[in-house]
Amino acid sequence: MKYMKKGLALTLTAALSIGLCACGSSKQADTASQAGAEQITLRILENDTAKSEGYLDELLNAFNEAYKDKGIQAVDANMEEYSNLAENGPYGYGPDVLYQANDKLMAYAEDKHIMALDRSSFECAEQIPDEAWDAFTVTVDGKQYTCGIPVNVQEPMLFYRKDLLPEGWESTWDADGNGTPDFFESWNSLYQYSKTIVDSSNGEKYGLAAPCNDLYMMAEFIFSYGGYVFGQNEDGTVNSEDIGFAAKDAAKGISALREFAGVMNEECIDDSIKQSRYSKVADGTYFCSISTPDTYVLFYDRLKEVYQAEGLSEDEAAQKATENLGMVELPGKMPSDGELDSDKADLDTVVMGGVNGYGISAYTEHKDACIEFVNFATSYEMITKRAEILGVAPTRSDVASSIGGVTNMIFESLNAGHIYLMPSVKAVDQIWDPMQTLLSDVAKDAFRESKGENVKYADESAIQEALEKASKSIYDAIYTLAN
Amino acid sequence: MKKEKISEVIITYAILILVSFVFFFPVLWLVLASFSSTGSIYDYDGFFPKSYSVATYIKLFNDTQMYDYPSWLKNTLFVSGFSCVISTVLVILTAYTMSRFKFKMRKPLMKTTLVLSMFPSFMGMTAVYLIMINFNMINNLWSLILIYSAGAPMGYLVQKGYFDTISASIYEAARIDGASNPTIFWKVTLPLSKPILVYTALTSFAWPWSDFILPNMLLKNRDLWTVAVGLTHLGETEFSRFAAGAIFIAVPIVILYFSLSGFLVAGVSDGAVKQ
Repeated sequence: MKYMKKGLALTLTAALSIGLCACGSSKQADTASQAGAEQITLRILENDTAKSEGYLDELLNAFNEAYKDKGIQAVDANMEEYSNLAENGPYGYGPDVLYQANDKLMAYAEDKHIMALDRSSFECAEQIPDEAWDAFTVTVDGKQYTCGIPVNVQEPMLFYRKDLLPEGWESTWDADGNGTPDFFESWNSLYQYSKTIVDSSNGEKYGLAAPCNDLYMMAEFIFSYGGYVFGQNEDGTVNSEDIGFAAKDAAKGISALREFAGVMNEECIDDSIKQSRYSKVADGTYFCSISTPDTYVLFYDRLKEVYQAEGLSEDEAAQKATENLGMVELPGKMPSDGELDSDKADLDTVVMGGVNGYGISAYTEHKDACIEFVNFATSYEMITKRAEILGVAPTRSDVASSIGGVTNMIFESLNAGHIYLMPSVKAVDQIWDPMQTLLSDVAKDAFRESKGENVKYADESAIQEALEKASKSIYDAIYTLAN
Repeated sequence: MKKEKISEVIITYAILILVSFVFFFPVLWLVLASFSSTGSIYDYDGFFPKSYSVATYIKLFNDTQMYDYPSWLKNTLFVSGFSCVISTVLVILTAYTMSRFKFKMRKPLMKTTLVLSMFPSFMGMTAVYLIMINFNMINNLWSLILIYSAGAPMGYLVQKGYFDTISASIYEAARIDGASNPTIFWKVTLPLSKPILVYTALTSFAWPWSDFILPNMLLKNRDLWTVAVGLTHLGETEFSRFAAGAIFIAVPIVILYFSLSGFLVAGVSDGAVKQ
């Protein structure tokens, strides 16, 4: 009995210790809300690429050094990049400052999870064009509020290997002699070049291979032909009742996409190409593919590995990969009749784009410190560093013009209206699935005939009908099913 | 007769080998994928990688900037280890009580636990999340241990079945010799129950070791993730790392199962059949 009492006492002591340990650990985990009065700790949520490429460390170190005497320090929120602020913020587990695409941030803004900000509080305000600010503007009761600070523009880009350009392309693929291959200037030419590659390699290699089911990457086949996501009200606000995927000649564009899918690999029908494109562009199976600028490092890493496998040292491979990995904007011209086989390329390409930026959580206890941080992170020096390390296109005009090259080209495209920015309303969440289903089915259609199956989209009227059905599904998802 | 026997053996073995291959092949493929030198699933020569190296395993433990596998492994071990100890104690005590003692609410309690255990555990996830928020235990590994341990006694039936098989005359003899209830439990029951103890400990360890839903909900910080949560958040070009992580996490549990398989089989079979 004596031993039992001892045992019981030990058990209770252990249980008490465990309980105390649990409390201690919990307090450690909560940084911002439990920070002492003298030291403010901000939790910063950046994207994974910024973290893996070391930009986040650079930013935090620079900020902490600059603000060490002011009692503010910034730390990595150390959370999943798309962690849900609506779920974590109200309970004190979300970040104080978060970096996201405009559609994500503005979905939070509609539900008041992020703060409205005063543009004039930010030094970068004058350098950023109105198009970028518009992406972070929300209208409530007729009044406009800015809920994010634009940092960089994203648009789909073509990635290719410069050392795999066809020999003598200057004489065969540069009809206008402007020093740029025709297949980077018009979709007709890119289609013809892709067809040439497929034919000459007996279907083992491809020209362009891209995720045809991805609306973000393939929206140029809709927007260039007069289609749009949502219409506008008279006061300029987004009208999500007006869904424009079937508008004007969008069916012609989708018909062109179907034609292009026919010279791609069947991987383009589903998501598998999103993972394989890096390796297959690197090993030359695909001449080029479409992705966003922030994935540059993924193409680069694979290409470096290919050169290393060919026997180059790590440094040599890195240098060769830097020299040979090309990233250009999508071809600027499309055929207005949707016939890629023709030489008629008379429409300007309009791609879907997004603006990534910083938002400040409505649940932060340190609004002023957050503004200080965002001001620091959007300063000329930090945005320049960000563009250099991550290869992204900044929204600051001064940085874009000083870096030049592709960065400035993207910035100019935004100004020229060649980038259709994702509308900053929550309803955008509902467009992806119906359109992905349709685009995937259209791409699949290109392979049906060869498999002895019935073709579904043989003419424009069938495509028009499918686009209208998809628009109806989106409308239902926004106004019927969600309520 | 002899010929028939030989053909029976051959057919049996052929079927067994075929079935084993069906189950073994995906595992073999994953093992080979984890040794792929390029890391990408799309560089394969048909089904298998073109070239092999141990670089992924080295990267798994050294390249921790984005994916801190050693920390995930440590967290998983911490949660599984403590859950195993606490759950085993609670389950064994519950099962022993239900088996040995007759009290008024015994049958209703047994029926209630039986009914409750039929509901899937994720049904109460939202409630669990809110409770943990109020306890300030989000981002805390002890919250997982608490939930796993608190829920464990619900599954006491196999252990109760085992205790039911221990003859009452042994207890009576101990009682005649003057042993108290705790003494009987420590000195008579437990030494006779090694198989079921091992079985309980192993199953209590294995569940938190591979669980995903609960840790994914309660652990927000990357450095607190368990292996199951971490592996699902790997980047889209990290397939080899995923394969290596999945293989490595399986190693300890496989070793444990093989080394204790004798106890395990005895525990399951003795607990399942009432003699």
